[in-house]
Amino acid sequence: MTSVDLKEFVNAYLGEAEEQLRISNAKLLEIDAAARRGEAHPRAVRDLFRAVHTVKGLSAMVDVDAVVAISHRMESILRSADRHGGHLPVSAVDVLLQAARAIEHRVRELAEDKAPSPPPPALLESLDAIGVRAGGASSTSGATLAIDPSLSSKLQPFELDLLVRGVNDGRRALRADFRPSPVQAERGFSINTVRERLGAIAEVVKTLPMAVPPTENAPGGLSFALLLLTTVSDEEIAAAAGVELSDVTTLAAPAPPSTGDVAPPVDEDDGESVLPQRRNIVRVSVARLDDAMEHISTLVVTRSRLARAVAELGQTGVNTRALAEIMRDNARQLRDLRAAVLRIRLVPAAELLERIPLILRGVEREGGRSVRLVLDAGTAELDKGVAERIFPALVHLVRNAVDHAIEPPEERKRLGKPEEGTLTLRCVARSNAELELSVSDDGRGVDRAAVAQRLRHEIPPGDAALLDALCEPGLSTRDRATTTSGRGMGMDIVRRVVVDQLGGDLSMATSSGIGTIFMLRVPLTLSIVDTFTLECLGERFVVPVSNVDEIFEVDATRVRRAPSQAGRPSPSVVERRGEVMPLFDLAGTLGMRDRDARARQAVLVRRAGEAFAFGLDRVAGQQESVVRPLVDPLVQIRGVAGATDLGDGRPTLVLDLVALGASAATLYGTRAA
Amino acid sequence: MTTELASYSAPGAPEGGDELALYVVFTANGSDYALPAETVLQMESFEGATAVPGAPPFVAGVVQIRGRVLPVVDLRLRFGGTPGERVLDNRIVVGQHGERVVGLLVDSAREVVKLRRSELKPPPPLVASAGFVRAVAQIGPRLVMLLDFARVIGEEQLDGVV
Repeated sequence: MTSVDLKEFVNAYLGEAEEQLRISNAKLLEIDAAARRGEAHPRAVRDLFRAVHTVKGLSAMVDVDAVVAISHRMESILRSADRHGGHLPVSAVDVLLQAARAIEHRVRELAEDKAPSPPPPALLESLDAIGVRAGGASSTSGATLAIDPSLSSKLQPFELDLLVRGVNDGRRALRADFRPSPVQAERGFSINTVRERLGAIAEVVKTLPMAVPPTENAPGGLSFALLLLTTVSDEEIAAAAGVELSDVTTLAAPAPPSTGDVAPPVDEDDGESVLPQRRNIVRVSVARLDDAMEHISTLVVTRSRLARAVAELGQTGVNTRALAEIMRDNARQLRDLRAAVLRIRLVPAAELLERIPLILRGVEREGGRSVRLVLDAGTAELDKGVAERIFPALVHLVRNAVDHAIEPPEERKRLGKPEEGTLTLRCVARSNAELELSVSDDGRGVDRAAVAQRLRHEIPPGDAALLDALCEPGLSTRDRATTTSGRGMGMDIVRRVVVDQLGGDLSMATSSGIGTIFMLRVPLTLSIVDTFTLECLGERFVVPVSNVDEIFEVDATRVRRAPSQAGRPSPSVVERRGEVMPLFDLAGTLGMRDRDARARQAVLVRRAGEAFAFGLDRVAGQQESVVRPLVDPLVQIRGVAGATDLGDGRPTLVLDLVALGASAATLYGTRAA
Repeated sequence: MTTELASYSAPGAPEGGDELALYVVFTANGSDYALPAETVLQMESFEGATAVPGAPPFVAGVVQIRGRVLPVVDLRLRFGGTPGERVLDNRIVVGQHGERVVGLLVDSAREVVKLRRSELKPPPPLVASAGFVRAVAQIGPRLVMLLDFARVIGEEQLDGVV
């Protein structure tokens, strides 16, 4: 395996591990909630087992021993819990949560190209020490399957087990018989399409080919028995399989919700359960999407050239009406294409919010508060990049609310409020371009006087002014920093993320004794790229790192001025590693000055393999930039890809040096115009 | 400083009647201009724009308003005048036309006025020829020119797509 393969494999591992950890966390919280009520949650335990088992298997493949060690122990605890009706004491759930965090930490290390740290010995000891208390006497029951012995003999034990477990999980086990025939094939039903269609509405546990006497229905003497687990009706199954209702038979009805009854132990080497059950979903790296976006950008540039050419043609008296019509269609199609690619980057807002309970749980524990969390993400979606950026701001607001806003239970009782505070997080898509997130609590409200005292200045009336005050850097209304909200980011960072980085809006409404609501308005999509900042005649520009091959100091003795051509500025040429290339003055190319000045630094760019360089004052730094396209036709200029905010609240232009190189070549006459 | 105008928009009135409508009045190069209030999204103070090389000469540049990057048309230059001196009174009148949102750099924004349809007169031929003025109205001693926002921001001239 080459190193490139390994890297790709690790990326695939990271993606899958993150997904399984997300599931693990969700299941752990369900188990935790059940454990606090003194109840068992066998299904969540089993789901968690599957996720942990997958993580362990994957980690073993990429040799992440630390994760294998932790997940192996988690797995043992869960297997034992599963054998005992899914009962887990709260103390065990705590340790499992710690273990999940430890795995997350190591996966993140791997993502950052660091070697995963060894597992904490204390954690391994705690995991080893957990003896799962059995939840009452167990009887080996479970559903019985009405399977033809001729069939069941062809099934692996784990397949039978899978069916039993599915039935215990509340699904029905069915058998559908499909007989391939020319008639069926004509209707579009083959064993493959049938499996695919059934796969969308059921779990296809096994497909068994069987020889049958040739009949009109089964001219080939072949029949397939498909063993399924599903929650949909027989009619739906029959329709999907293209068979008669009589060809669908029930093997077992769903078991009543288990109340201590124990399902067979989870089979560790059951390959099926390791396979992710998601269907019709493709995991795509963001880099590939960016690549597609990149191609669309070049299409847009080509289109505007085409538009210009059509306009010029029109000026010569040629009738361009038909062309103009095509151009309009083409414009609309391009816009649709761009929107479609941007949509691919969207993730459900629910995914963003489902990480909040885990955060809240930790804060609650430390702060001794009791908080009821209400999450409402609806069907809103947002760009993955936006979601990643906004999450820390949400975490801060949640911590703040629990730590500062929601009163301790005794105080709430005295005030006549419910002892349990309520924290509500909501996501609403306001338009197809904006998402509104709100974090509201029913706590004590922001103490204006305390904030003023701490800042040592008056705060003008109104919530907006109070929010401004809260966002002053370094403000903390607490003398003693708590472990939760006293560290990390402050409101000033929340504002910077929302307003400056994401180009959104932050507002607040607070009412003394009643509560506070923070509203975050953010764009649904944005594109984030690695960029260099260039300085040129006192102006700053940014360019995508992917544009630049090399940055080099310009050695004036190696710059030659090419012979001047009539009416055109003469291009310079520079030699770099034995390659001679044109050196364009960036400011000159942008029309910022008429005469070329001596460049101190230059960036090397390649366009279809052809090298050229842009001379400038200096390359000032590198950072990630949120690039907003300049959508208005007034400012759609070849070579200007968009604008970004470097933190000063004003737009900085994002240049496309490759496109600009073409303009420069024309301007400097190094190529025919 | 931001002035929200969305809430001022006039209630719908029967077509063809002599309904009242709100207009935002501003000055550029010594003349008074107006835009229908429903065209104007907001007004912002002007703190300079980022020049966009290669844009039409009347484009002052781009500005960032509430996270949105918009082009700003310098109204003085658009109407063939000379650049004005930067003063504190300078405002950006942010207007909307279809999907486009464009700012107009004006010398100062004056007021919001109510006008009846019957008060709007066709522009004198000389003013009309440039196509920027849709109508004129006399407000007290002043003659206010109602702008065709679409024309001002270059619609019908530029290839207004993508």
